[in-house]
This record gives sequence, structure tokens and C-alpha cells, in this order.
Amino acid sequence: MTIERIDGCIGCGTCVKTCPTDVIRRDPKTGKAVIMYPADCQICHLCRMYCPVGAITISPEKSIPVVVSWG
Amino acid sequence: MDTYRKSPFVKISVLVFGGLPLLLWILGGFPERSFLKESLSFVTMLSFFFMIGMFFFSRANAVVVKDLKMHRTKKIHKAIGTTCVSIMLLHPLFLVLPRFFEAGVSPDDAFVTIVTTFHTGIVLGMLAWILLLTLGMMALMRNQLPMTYKTWRRWHGILAVVFIAAAAWHAIDLGRHSSLAMSSLIILLTAVGVRLFLKHTITSKPQKPRIDR
Ligand code: SF4
Ligand code: SF4
Repeated sequence: MTIERIDGCIGCGTCVKTCPTDVIRRDPKTGKAVIMYPADCQICHLCRMYCPVGAITISPEKSIPVVVSWG
Repeated sequence: MDTYRKSPFVKISVLVFGGLPLLLWILGGFPERSFLKESLSFVTMLSFFFMIGMFFFSRANAVVVKDLKMHRTKKIHKAIGTTCVSIMLLHPLFLVLPRFFEAGVSPDDAFVTIVTTFHTGIVLGMLAWILLLTLGMMALMRNQLPMTYKTWRRWHGILAVVFIAAAAWHAIDLGRHSSLAMSSLIILLTAVGVRLFLKHTITSKPQKPRIDR
């Protein structure tokens, strides 16, 4: 597993737009984000970094450090 | 202070409104996050449970009035109210506070996204926030408001019931730690608390003033 779980999602849809490999979709009933294709996750952390409420957990074992620009 | 510490009702309340949520939180199996995030979550959760507890620390609850007398019950009600209302009013900011120390979306952008998301849980949260602000202001300005104490008390109770219903729904829908067990506990305590208030309001008869000793 890469992207692990989503807790406390407010359904803003940011992660759906941010994920480069379409791992996350929105549940049509609840409007909340759901992990649809976890095998496609590239562990890029974009969804986690742009989730406004920090709802996304990514498996720490498989994570690579995120490069942050200092400029 | 000793009276509070020795009171069986206070002891039970600490266990029910503090201990039980803490236990469910620990048993919930949620992923570990940073100390700051977990602390903010924990403080928010406890405040919410103690806000439900305020229904139990009120004149509507004959058990607490018998145990602590009215003036001490009122003191606890006020103390919990002041602390927890402040925390609950600030808790939307707690969500974005960790963003100051992390890469990604900025705290202000995160906040704007949160308040502009049209989701049931968010709308209910905003409604609850406005109701809570009104409740807090109403409590602070009690003597300035053009109404008798009894009318004020009734409005305070009615607002509190509407607030807790919206807040409970919001917490169950969006709460990070709202597992089935935690949600059931919220529903159970809220229902009992609201029932206490409604029963007291419907059945209470005018009473002669009483001096507590
Ligand atoms: S870590 Fe990257 S690839 Fe994986 S779900 Fe998030 S955005 Fe998509
Ligand atoms: S970015 Fe976060 S809050 Fe928004 S839909 Fe995705 S998981 Fe939910």
C-alpha cells in the first residue's frame, strides 16, 4: 500500500485534481474522496500536501522525502 | 475545591466525558500524526464532549444539583462554558495551524478552501459556529439584554439544543476520530443531555426562591 487512508475529508476535491495518476475519486453519494486505484499511487505526496484538512495518510515506510524549494 | 473533587457526579463526568472519548480515541487505530496535530485534535475532541457535558451540569439535572448545590453547578457550567466555547470557536483555525510548518497548501488557502466547500458537514459546522458565538455572547451580555432571567434561560437552552444537534452531526460527519463507537457515544450523550433539558423545560413549575447552603 502507498496512499493508506483518508480520515476527516470535507469533500473539497483538491486531491482528485492534484493526483497525477487518478488514484483518488469522489464518492458520488457522500462527495468525499475515496482511494480507487491504490496500486497506481506514485507516492508523490501531492494529495497529502494540498489537502486543506490534512485528511490523507501515506504509508511512511514507502515514502521518499519531499523536496521543498527554499527560494 | 474539595467539594468538587469529592463529588461522585464530577468523578463520573470526568470518566464519561473525558475518559471514554480518550479510550475510544486510543482504541480507534488511527494513524499517528505529529504531536501538534494530535494535541489539537485531542483538545478539540475533549472540548466538544465537555460541551455536551454542560447539559448535565445544569439545573436540568436534579442529580448534580442535589450533589453539588445550584451555585457550584453554575460555577462548573460557567467554567466549562468559557473554556470549551473559546476552544470550539478557535478550532477551525486548529486545522490549518500545522500548515505553517509543512510544505504544500498555505494556511490561508487551506482555510479559504475549507470555508468555501459546500458540503453538509461544513455547512452544519458553520451553522454550529454561529450558534455557539451567539450563545457565548448571550451568556456574556446576560445583564445587558432586555429580557427577564427566565426568558434568557429558556432561549439559552433552546439555542444550546439547536447548537449541539448541528455540532454533533458536523462532528460525526467530518470528525477525523469519529469511528462508529465514537459516533455512537456522541449520539447517546447528546440525546440524553437534550432529553434532560426538554424534560426540565416542559415539566418545570414556577418555584419559590431557595437559598442553597
Ligand atoms: S501520493 Fe501522489 S500518486 Fe499517490 S494518491 Fe497522492 S497524489 Fe496520487
Ligand atoms: S483534498 Fe482532502 S478534504 Fe479535499 S477531497 Fe481530498 S481528502 Fe478530502
